[in-house]
Parts: sequence; structure tokens; C-alpha cells
Amino acid sequence: MKISMRLAVAATLLAFGSARAADAIKIGLMAPLTGSWASEGQEMKRNVELLAAEQNARGGLLGKRVEIVVEDDGGDPRTASLAAQRLTTRGVVAVVGTYGSAVTEATQAILDEAGIVQVANGSTAVRLTEKRLKYFFRTCPRDDEQGRVGAAVLEKGGAKRIALLHDSSAYAKGLADEIAATLRAHRANVVFFDALTPKEQDYSAILTRLKAAKPDVVFFTGYYPEAGLLLKQKRQMGWKVPFIGGDAVNNPDLVKIAGKDAAAGFRFLSPPVPKDLDTAEARAYVASYRKRYGEAPSSIYGVLAADGFRVIAKAIETSRSTDPDKLRQVLVGGLKDFPGFTGKIAFNGKGDRVGELYRVYEVSPSGSFVLQK
Amino acid sequence: MEQFFQQLTNGLAVGSIYALIALGYTMVYGVLRLINFAHGDLFSLGAYLGLTLLTSFALQGRLGLALGLLVLAVMVMGLIAVVGVVLERAAYRPLRDSPRLSAVVSALGASIFLQNALMLVYGARYQVYPDILPQASIRLLGLDVPVMRIVVVLVAVVMMAGLYVFVQKTRTGTAMRAAAIDQDAASLMGIDVNRVVRLVFVIGPALGGGAGLLVGLYYGQVGFTMGWSYGMKAFTAAILGGIGNIPGAMVGGLLLGLVEAFGAAYLSLAWKDAFAFGVLILILIVRPSGLLGERVAEKI
Repeated sequence: MKISMRLAVAATLLAFGSARAADAIKIGLMAPLTGSWASEGQEMKRNVELLAAEQNARGGLLGKRVEIVVEDDGGDPRTASLAAQRLTTRGVVAVVGTYGSAVTEATQAILDEAGIVQVANGSTAVRLTEKRLKYFFRTCPRDDEQGRVGAAVLEKGGAKRIALLHDSSAYAKGLADEIAATLRAHRANVVFFDALTPKEQDYSAILTRLKAAKPDVVFFTGYYPEAGLLLKQKRQMGWKVPFIGGDAVNNPDLVKIAGKDAAAGFRFLSPPVPKDLDTAEARAYVASYRKRYGEAPSSIYGVLAADGFRVIAKAIETSRSTDPDKLRQVLVGGLKDFPGFTGKIAFNGKGDRVGELYRVYEVSPSGSFVLQK
Repeated sequence: MEQFFQQLTNGLAVGSIYALIALGYTMVYGVLRLINFAHGDLFSLGAYLGLTLLTSFALQGRLGLALGLLVLAVMVMGLIAVVGVVLERAAYRPLRDSPRLSAVVSALGASIFLQNALMLVYGARYQVYPDILPQASIRLLGLDVPVMRIVVVLVAVVMMAGLYVFVQKTRTGTAMRAAAIDQDAASLMGIDVNRVVRLVFVIGPALGGGAGLLVGLYYGQVGFTMGWSYGMKAFTAAILGGIGNIPGAMVGGLLLGLVEAFGAAYLSLAWKDAFAFGVLILILIVRPSGLLGERVAEKI
């Protein structure tokens, strides 16, 4: 069933392709339409197809209509490399996607060798852009950016004595290391750096130890279950020092575990959720998305795919060409604060997005997550 | 010095929970020479059942907080006792005369079964107890100690003391001790050994389930894997004190809690568990039968 459907879709696309080949600009979309990330992939597809339809309603690109060629990567590197190979034979000038870092990594070399510009939307692993591929870009931040933003938030808060707590997981320890490195480079005073054991219930011994270090602020880089318990037990101790968390605490269960009173005032870093996107363009876009699909976009990564499509369209329009080297010229240095839905977009020479995507959220007394301006 | 006393109360609170769970391991071992690996999962089951009963009956609202919680505790402990008896009947009694290893494997199987059943019934996400306990704290030795923490320690101590008196002073307790020393001789003296074993599987799981309820009420967050880490620590505590020895389980639990708290306070947090288990290894090298020793004359 699935295969036959896919064949049917492919046949339709091929029919369109051959009929319109002469007067269409093809942009590929590689997304996990099936598999465990299918909800992300479906949303990427909705975003990009909506934008392509809008672009065509405005007369397309360079006088030609835009055609989206969708390939399913299944959230799996092997499927993805086959999908990328298929895209190279379909005459696409650029590819949006994909979501998972390991999945994107399996496609990078294939697309780069074929001279196709790729703009990934959810792949945050640092190494992807450290390879210095010529045609690879991404609209999402890198894992190490959160560390820099975290350090900046701590310094801006004016804390003199900073405590960092992680849970020894690769992600949380990496983030804590990154923050500590930035803080130490700025000669800030890190008075505490240690890990708790996740999945325990009683963190009072750790909180007591933390308290003895007399920090002005504590940054916990781990996940929401532990963060919730820490906040609850901190309140039970009657300790008032503010806590800040990383994006792994962005889960409504945090407030359930901690209780509203203990969670109120807790701040954390996270990419904005689509409902909090604040530019006029983004608001208009969310409205038209709601009109087309009956609901607002729920994932920021879908909107980052939309931004991927828009920078490609912008580069094609600015360079009046589909030549990958000319597209790169526009993308690197030629964008100059392009107004993306997720904020201003520009790329550096590695293909990483310049500027901060992470925002600060605060838990309100009623227990909801409120974006801080 | 303030940190020292603070960590002392932290260690006692965690340690009394470990001790309460350790009793279940040690009693079963005393009578059957079996490590009941499913005991930690009976503890999680107690925490989940407590949550269900608490949210569906809301007894604390009808009977007042203290009485409501007491009734809740009796209900949870009763239900877990029933599960314990069924577990013994289904998973352990058929293997009573088989090699010891078969019973251990059966215990592991029961543990995996209970853990997965919990996950399938309640879901893999963390569940949260409603906040019904008072948040007050009193000043003791110059530091603020939450009242509920003292209550947790007191409840655990009362339960342990009650068990000790029961085993030492009552006829049934004497029968239990006799069965622990020698099952065959005990049955020749007219003691119904099956009844004793059933009683052990009433009391041990009931205490474990009670500990689960206590943890749920006090810490608020319950997950289906919580029985594993608590079970490991409690098992360690039982061995530390001398497995099969009831006062040993209490001493071992409190000691393990204190070692963890002071390890976290004065050494590294991340190495807290490594430190606690390092102490275990050291003690076992010096005293292979545990601190109070596996009593040779009476195992329970």
C-alpha cells in the first residue's frame, strides 16, 4: 500500500516534471515523512508547500513556477542517502532539509558533490558545518550556541558567583562545559561545577552542597524531571536563589512536578515556539498557515524549514540565477539581515546561521511559559 | 557546621526510606534464602496505587489530612500485601525445592513483569502526586527542617520498631524466627511453614508499598523505573547490615543514606554513588557477613 502510493506520487510528480520541466524551478524537500519523527516531517512539508503555493501566486521565481520535489528520508540515514541520490537526478537546484543530525550527515556529501545547495532545518550537531562543505547551510542553531547564549544570559543577569549543575549525559555535560568555558574566558566566577544522578527522587544533599557554595544563580543543563524536583526541594529548603535551565526543561510536566509555586520565576533557554514568533512577517505567515491547514504550526523546526525555503528563494531572486556558486555568494554575506520568520537570517562562511535564535522563557505564577522580551 | 547538620537530616531522611525497603529483602532472605528482586517493583507499585487511590477517593478531603492518609496507607499496604502473597504463590512456591538459581531467575522475571505492567497501565511518563502535605518547617539546631521530613523519618522508625517488637515478642514472630533457623525442624515442632512464608510476604511487601506511598507523597514524582534504583540501594543496605538481620537492615539503610549525603557534601556529587558502593565493598571485605552480621543462630 505504502509503496504503491509512493509510486503513484512519484509518477504524478514525474508527469508534472516532464510537462513543466522547461518553465519550472525545482526545489527539493527532504523530510522524515514516516518513522518516529513523522510529525516533524509532515509539518515541514506543510510549511514548504504553503510557501511554494504563495510564491507561485506571486508569479513564481524568475518568471518560472516553483515546484517542490518531496523525498521521504524516514528519519533514517540509509533511507536518506538514497533519497538524496534520487534528488540529484531530479534536477533540483536546492534542497530544504532535513531534521535529524545523523540523517542530514548521510546526505551532505551526496548533495555537495552534485553541486546542490542544501539548507537543513533541524540538524544542530556542531560537526555538520565544521566540514566546511561549500553548499551546506542551516537555519537552526548549533548545539554550542546554547552554551554561549547561556553564558551571556548569566553575565547579563549580573551574577557574581555562578553555579553550573549537569547530569553527566552527553548533551547536558556538553552544554555545561560550553557555558563554563565561555564564562571562564570572560573571567567570571564559576563557584560550582558538578553533576547530579538523574532519576533519583531526593536531591536535598545536592542542594545543600550547592547552597554552601553561595552562588547568586544556578544553571541546570539537564532535563525537566530533575529540574522539577530540584525546584520543589529548593523551595522546601526555603532557599531563594534563582535557577536557570537549558532547552531540555521545556516541557509542561516541569510545572506539574515542581508545583506552580516552586516553578514560578524559573527561567530557561529555548528556541521560540511558533506562537511566540514576534515579527510582522511571522504573524502574517502563522495566520495564513492557520487559514490553509486549520491550525497554527506547532513545531519551530517546521518554521525553520519555511525559512530555509525563503532564503533559497531570496538567493535565486537576488542572483537572478540558479547556479550554486552564485547562490552561495548571496547566502554568505549577501543576505544582510534577511527578515526570516524566526528572526533575522544571515550565514557565515561555514554555513551556520549568524545571530541568536535562543530566547529566554520564564515560568509565570500560573505555570505557563512566557517569552521574555 | 550548618552544612554538616543539614546533610545529617538529608541522609537520615533518605536512609530511613532505604531501611524500610531493605526490611522486605532481609525478611524474605531470612526465611527463604531468596533475594526477592521484585521487591523494588512492589515499592513502585505502592507509589502508583497510592496515587490512584489518593486522586480517586480524595480521602484527605473527607476524613481530614492525618486520618485520610492513615486510611490511605492501610489500603495501599493491604493491596501490596495481597500482591506479595500472590507473587509468592505464583512465582516462588512452585520453585521452593528447585535449585536456588531458578528462584532468583523467577524473581528477576517477576520484577521485569511488574515494571512493564506498571509502564503499560500508567504510561511511561512521570506521574505527579497532588500537593497535599503542609510545607511548614521548624527550626532545629539552627536550621530549617521541613516538618514532613521529620514525619517521614518518624513513620519509618515506628514501622521498623513495630516489626521488631512483633518478631521478638509475639508467638507468630517466634514461629517466624524458628522457621528462619530451620524450616524442617520448625515444621516438626508444629509450625506451619507455608503460613510463615505467607506472613513474610504480607509484611515485607506491605512495608515496601508503604515506603512507596511515603516517597510518592513526600517527593511527589513517581516513575515506573523508580523501584530499580531504590531497590538496588535498599538491597545494598540489607547486605551492609547483614542480610537476614532485621536490625541490620535498619542500620544499613540509615548508614547508606548518611554515606551518600556526606559523600555528596564533602566529596564529589557525581561520584556520590560510586562512593556509597565503595564503602559497601570495604565493609564487606572487613566484615563479609555485614555490620551486624548474618546471625548464625537466628536469621531473622
